[in-house]
Amino acid sequence: MDNHHITRRESIKKLLKISGGLALTNLAAWPLPKDLIASPASTNEKFVVEGIGQSHGYAIKALIRKVFEAAGGIEKFVSRQDVVAVKPNISWARAPHLAATTHPEVLEAVIELCQEAGAKKVVVADHTIHDARRCFAITGAGMVAKKTGADLVYPRSSLMREMKLQGHRLNVWPVFVPLIEADKLINLPIAKVHVLSGLTLGMKNWIGAVGGRRNALHQDIHMTVVDLAQFFKPTLTLIDAIRIMVHNGPSGGSASDVSVSNRLILSNDPVAADAKAATLFDIRPEDIGFIHLGNKWGLGTYEFQKIRHNKVII
Amino acid sequence: MKAKHLVWIRRLTQAIFLIVFVLLLIESRLPQDVYMDYSAALTAEQDIELNYPVTFFFQIDPLIWLTSVVSGHQWIKGFGWALGIVVLTLFFGRFFCGFICPFGTIHHLMSYVKPALKGQGIIKANQKRPDQKYKYLILILFLAASLLGLNFTGLLDPMAFLFRSLSLAVFPGLGTGIKEIFDLMAQSDIKIFNYISYTGEVIVSPVFGYGYKAFQSAWLIGILFLIILLLNRIRPRFWCRTLCPLGALLGIFARFSVLRLEKYPDKCTECQLCITACQGAASPVPDQEWEPAECMFCFNCFNACPENAISFKLRWPPTVNKPPDIGRRVVLGSLVGGVSLSLFGKLDGRIHKVSDARLIRPPGSLPEKDFLKLCQRCGLCMKVCPTNVINPTLSEAGMAGFWTPNLIMIQGYCEYTCTLCGSVCPTGAIQHLSAKEKIENPVRIGSAHIDRGRCLPWSGNGPCIVCEEHCPTSPKAIHLKKEVGLSPDGETVRVELPYVDLKRCVGCGICEYKCPVMGKPAIQVIAAGESRSINNLILLS
Repeated sequence: MDNHHITRRESIKKLLKISGGLALTNLAAWPLPKDLIASPASTNEKFVVEGIGQSHGYAIKALIRKVFEAAGGIEKFVSRQDVVAVKPNISWARAPHLAATTHPEVLEAVIELCQEAGAKKVVVADHTIHDARRCFAITGAGMVAKKTGADLVYPRSSLMREMKLQGHRLNVWPVFVPLIEADKLINLPIAKVHVLSGLTLGMKNWIGAVGGRRNALHQDIHMTVVDLAQFFKPTLTLIDAIRIMVHNGPSGGSASDVSVSNRLILSNDPVAADAKAATLFDIRPEDIGFIHLGNKWGLGTYEFQKIRHNKVII
Repeated sequence: MKAKHLVWIRRLTQAIFLIVFVLLLIESRLPQDVYMDYSAALTAEQDIELNYPVTFFFQIDPLIWLTSVVSGHQWIKGFGWALGIVVLTLFFGRFFCGFICPFGTIHHLMSYVKPALKGQGIIKANQKRPDQKYKYLILILFLAASLLGLNFTGLLDPMAFLFRSLSLAVFPGLGTGIKEIFDLMAQSDIKIFNYISYTGEVIVSPVFGYGYKAFQSAWLIGILFLIILLLNRIRPRFWCRTLCPLGALLGIFARFSVLRLEKYPDKCTECQLCITACQGAASPVPDQEWEPAECMFCFNCFNACPENAISFKLRWPPTVNKPPDIGRRVVLGSLVGGVSLSLFGKLDGRIHKVSDARLIRPPGSLPEKDFLKLCQRCGLCMKVCPTNVINPTLSEAGMAGFWTPNLIMIQGYCEYTCTLCGSVCPTGAIQHLSAKEKIENPVRIGSAHIDRGRCLPWSGNGPCIVCEEHCPTSPKAIHLKKEVGLSPDGETVRVELPYVDLKRCVGCGICEYKCPVMGKPAIQVIAAGESRSINNLILLS
């Protein structure tokens, strides 16, 4: 508690704000037809929210809050006492400014939102490519976990369990257990170019959620990515496109590989999220193999214009 | 001070140094608290450094200091400690062996707890023997070889021997056993076992290492360690008396020790309790002449004597004590041995003609000739490496480089921005680089090449860009060319064929490690192109 005493003027202002706000919402709600009011509350409705940080020196955290508000609030997706697993892309031991990994502030903001929504535990898990401890340190994920009290799981062989994926290409494959044991799953990828799949976005992030011979998946990358995305089916996908990697992906390594895009894309449709993100690279979504296949096999739609589509700018 | 108190002070000191040694060994790893402030990471690459002085026990080792000076002609940072030990030895003899040396403490424990010999057996075993000369032979041999440019000291230096044995054999061995149990529990359907497995691993991994550790020829290191320990069943502190070259070096300096064992033969009742308790076979009985070069100042004899017939006293001004029993034949023999060992050691041509293509040294390593002058084969770089790529050699570096570090890329890879191995090398055989220096110079440890017969796209067996994807340089050293090829079924397939750009390749080996062709990957790293060697470069500039 701060010891700041509220002056009379302030208290009046606050009261006005609260009552005025309530009145406005009532006013706004009253004349509208019922189905329009009800629709944001239903979790099944597909949406894409694009957040854009235009003002100079905007706060990433504030943008994320706005984006979630536009989607109906985090409480719509995360209930009290939920165990939430967050899957960032922290595969490379690269500093955040190199855009090889999910920005730590994005990770931190999402963890905090989940905690505010009353999540019992937030688990952060990624089966990294570089040594995990170095990844945790250099990407800033370790710092975030320490700060927020989230559980950052070290990927170990005892946590990889063979499961039936029953995909079109992959049948049985070892899966990173913490990601499937959680009540809610949030995918938190970063947008990058990738030589084989074209782009690394949300669906491809699930390669970091499995064990086994991952280097063999490249022999049929698009179908295997869709199989994995279909198996994991996240509650939400939030694509970090604050900085995007436009050259030398997916590892990057130089600041010249990075372009500042100042965007975030939130969706409950994994295909639509990726499709929207693809446009940031001036790529037609249907030209990316896994987006095309994801659409074809009913995982979602790449025609993101046809679902509820919001834009938030700060 | 009473003898009993001295003995307890010694035990306490021994225990502290042994515990500190093991703790520093455990801390020779990627720091646990590596969570850095990412706001700093946003602007610059940060180096991860160890929080503890893990090289301390190497820095207080006068033998490592002396042989490094003799062979490498360099004064290594931190070795003032070793000089301090030498100066103290001039006053207090081999107190290092009795009080500080953790390997000595382990031998002491092995001999003291449940001794193999009793009665006349132990009295006989604790008599000074001619074979105690062998340690001088080993010392002079190492010094002679060092002078001629091959430093073998680490093979038998007690700090290097103990660190290597514990960190490459004992700890990983136990760790593997424990991990197997945890993995078994994790597979169980019983929830509580899963939970124990996970929690257990979180606790155990920082000590024994993450995942399954592998060190080639660790079995040999482990067996040798056990044999050396079991030799204590033949005679107490067999290693310290007969083999230890550091003990020999300190023994020579003990000639001038002012702390001496004074004897009063008229009080002696010849009960021989002093001999029974003697750790160094240093002839403590009053009717024999005390051997200051063998005495480890454990104060056991002083404590054991019921008649006060012996006592440790400081004598000033110092007199010259009995010289160490080395003998001319040992000196000549060891000189011949040392000289020939260093000359024969270079006969495989690996220093002067061409090195083995499989010998890939850690980043920052000195040129091979200088490397072999300084490397102690202690295993610190191998222990600290987070990807477990650094292994002790068997034959890759020839006899002269036995157990020196070598990168085996199918077992791990060199992380692009990691510089831990150089930051812990006690003698600077691997230079301490910053991540920036490593990347920007760049430091190359070898070069990759593609075996087109095994490579999936090159052999027409399907798409794969795994090597390109993982290549850490920017721009990438592996680039792809689009091609339309024929599949084995005669269908046209569009593939992307990988090529290595030698100008950019640093030889980190992540391509080899991640290649889906396991065991003998389709892309492999060889030493050619390593920047430490002028002769081994490939490109003109």
